[in-house]
Amino acid sequence: MPQLLTVRVERPDGRPVRVRVPVLPVIVVLSPVVVLVALVAAVACLVHRVSVVRAFGTGWRIVSALPGTRVDIAQGRTAVLVAIR
Amino acid sequence: MNEQRKDILDMLAEGRITVVEAERLIVALERNQPPTAPGPDARPKGTAKYLRVVVDAVEDGEPARVNVRVPLQLLRAGVRLAALIPPQALGKVNAELNKSGMPFDLTQLKPEQLEALVDHLDEMTVEVDQPDATVRVFCE
Repeated sequence: MPQLLTVRVERPDGRPVRVRVPVLPVIVVLSPVVVLVALVAAVACLVHRVSVVRAFGTGWRIVSALPGTRVDIAQGRTAVLVAIR
Repeated sequence: MNEQRKDILDMLAEGRITVVEAERLIVALERNQPPTAPGPDARPKGTAKYLRVVVDAVEDGEPARVNVRVPLQLLRAGVRLAALIPPQALGKVNAELNKSGMPFDLTQLKPEQLEALVDHLDEMTVEVDQPDATVRVFCE
């Protein structure tokens, strides 16, 4: 389960902006939305005749495998880094 | 073959030393050689954790770099998504692929095959060298 999402943006003027998002507290705050999204996803699975349990299982596997992902893009003096821990 | 080993075999071929002496010299030579430094190939198979994509390029005169690290577990979880695609959607995708000149049947692609593919990514390295760009895809 991801714990921390870090986004770092370096602008051409050299000022870096770093945002650290603690995943679990954000999910807790957004839990009503998360529940709603889960319900919509379950209905979509039923409509398309996809196993809800398998779909949620796969979704959970993907979310659990996210830690360690790192995307670092830089061009000239502009750079964007997204890291999941 | 290193130079010293070649010298020993030359001496053997010229008859200056016997087979037993040549063997002794080669064994002594191997004993004195320092252990080779562990390289990327020395990593035991199946221990890679990440797929790395590194692109170095020059765009509009400015250096550009893309460095992506994706856990292999994420790829393994991702290929399971293929099993969730409804058959009718696969049929539509197949039809579109056929239209585009790619007669590829996605229904024949099993999740187990995709997982085997991900497992063997460990041994894969792709390097593309262009004058203005370098792309490397490898596992670590």
